[in-house]
Amino acid sequence: MELLNNLALGLTVAVTLQNLFYAFVGCMVGTLIGVLPGIGPVATIAMLLPITFHLPPTASLIMLAGIYYGAQYGGSTTSILVNLPGEASSVVTCLDGYQMARKGRAGAALSISALGSFFAGTVGTIIIVVFAEPLTRMAQKFGPADYCSLMALGLVAAVVLASGSVMKAIAMVFLGLLFGLVGTDVNTGAQRFTFDVPELSDGIDFAPIAMGLFGIAEIVVNLERRMERTGAIKVTSLWPTREEFRRSVPAVLRGTALGSILGVLPGGGPTLGAFSAYTLEKKLSKHPEQFGKGAVEGVASPESANNAAAQTSFIPMLTLGIPSNAVMALMVGAMIIQGIQPGPEVMTKKPDLFWGMIASMWIGNLMLVIINLPMIGMWVKLLTVPYRFLAPAILLFCAIGAYSLQNSTFHVLQVAMFGVLGYIFVRLGCEGAPFLLGLVLGPQMEEYFRRAMLLSRGDPMVFLERPISLGLLITTALLLILMALPNIKKARQEAFQEEET
Amino acid sequence: MNRFLSKDFLSGLMFIAFGLVALYFGHHLAVGTSVRMGPGYVPRMLSYILLGLGGLICVVALYSGGEIVERPKWKPITMVTIGIIAFALLLERTGMLPALVALVLISSLGGEEFNLWEVIGNIVVLAILCIIVFKVGLGMNISVIEGVW
Repeated sequence: MELLNNLALGLTVAVTLQNLFYAFVGCMVGTLIGVLPGIGPVATIAMLLPITFHLPPTASLIMLAGIYYGAQYGGSTTSILVNLPGEASSVVTCLDGYQMARKGRAGAALSISALGSFFAGTVGTIIIVVFAEPLTRMAQKFGPADYCSLMALGLVAAVVLASGSVMKAIAMVFLGLLFGLVGTDVNTGAQRFTFDVPELSDGIDFAPIAMGLFGIAEIVVNLERRMERTGAIKVTSLWPTREEFRRSVPAVLRGTALGSILGVLPGGGPTLGAFSAYTLEKKLSKHPEQFGKGAVEGVASPESANNAAAQTSFIPMLTLGIPSNAVMALMVGAMIIQGIQPGPEVMTKKPDLFWGMIASMWIGNLMLVIINLPMIGMWVKLLTVPYRFLAPAILLFCAIGAYSLQNSTFHVLQVAMFGVLGYIFVRLGCEGAPFLLGLVLGPQMEEYFRRAMLLSRGDPMVFLERPISLGLLITTALLLILMALPNIKKARQEAFQEEET
Repeated sequence: MNRFLSKDFLSGLMFIAFGLVALYFGHHLAVGTSVRMGPGYVPRMLSYILLGLGGLICVVALYSGGEIVERPKWKPITMVTIGIIAFALLLERTGMLPALVALVLISSLGGEEFNLWEVIGNIVVLAILCIIVFKVGLGMNISVIEGVW
């Protein structure tokens, strides 16, 4: 009963004209960047962070969330019609989606992926509603030592599941933690790594770093390679045949289930969900030879999985305040900009924001079906805009956005600096996401660490004596050991290679 | 010789460099005791971890080789960076419009194809868009041309 009350509260917040408007803006922008290759949700959300400063907290989070799951919808459109994945999570959709389109079934592929995504999004939203309360209640029992261990687990798991070289990714986490320390020490007021720059005394601002690392570096890498464009396939009828429909239903169900589970894991999320769902579907199919030649299951399952995962990856962020991927790290940043400390208190102290955001996700999913299916022609046209027009526009929005944070050109220079650093990271094969997670969690983690050590009178054993903390640390250690095992190491490398090709 | 140019070895060096920089600029911060940690405790700890991990990554890279770093193309990264810096320097002195022109023009030079008319068209469209969104829509406190509007 309480669940329904919460949902009702959420719906009343979500259907106000203002929030509906921002959900719509988020979904439109999300679809747009999903369609455009070369700019992803991470860069976009980073770019829009400064603008959210001018909006009320609920509206801004609703909009950013819309961008994230909207990108999953938009990404599939280009995969199917042009064989060009708009997002990493839509890479597998190309395999069968484009083949379906070549056989004249483009419309069917598009509707199945949109309807599958909608179903998955609905289930994902329900899962968030069901699990939010118990997880939050559990998190409220956590002491400083437990929190510190939980963050360690979150960081390690994110590294293990989401990137190529484990050692480099762990080093990136520590580098992120180090950057997170810049500014005035909360406990003593000492200036750390501020180099007498007054703008740095409040800490390095999160938005310019994210813009530089993800926005600028991405643009530069895209400018380096020539973008090829192929003609889009015309869409005729949107209706799937009865046969296609019958075959996609179980695939959608399986994709939704798998995506929902993988989304919750730290480092999981849409891309991992989509890849696993495709592999699973191919293994279960009676006709695995049809995959890659236009099997409808190969579209239905990964498309549902990436959307389900996009939804459920909000769970650790909303309930525990622990981001599980780069987008969630940015959402944490957006909350901090609004003066909300993410964590279990959000649900009890700001129920309207919490439930309003969740309810708006479902509404947003409904909007996306409408935005995507009837307006498909418009999105396809957008694909013909060459990247050399797009790149300066994105740079410009980054620069103005960074300036508007505090009306200071220092932040613009910071974007340039972190753009160069981000470019170096890309060239050296170091991933930006673990760095960002470390950066976001750094200040809190130090705080919890120092508090835990103070409470235990300097005895580090406190991390092993508290059962919750001990359990979390054992899980962390197990994960690290698992990664070092030769078999798993090999399987993991193969999985990531598949992702790259 | 190639092993010293592998992505892994160079990234190891980068982590060591960051560790050293943090140690150097953090050396004046009091470390304190583990009960009452000073502001320098955690930075010092992180610096040592970075040095250790960086060293480890370097050693493993020398032992196992790995992918060689690609030769960077200098034009895009330089032009984009110069473009943003020019924007930052011009924005408050001359206003949004000249800064915008500089950023779009310079960063367009970083691409492979450059067509002056296209760039001018792009500048016009973006200028109108920015004035509508940022000046009129969000009401930001930026002058379009310093001293004029």
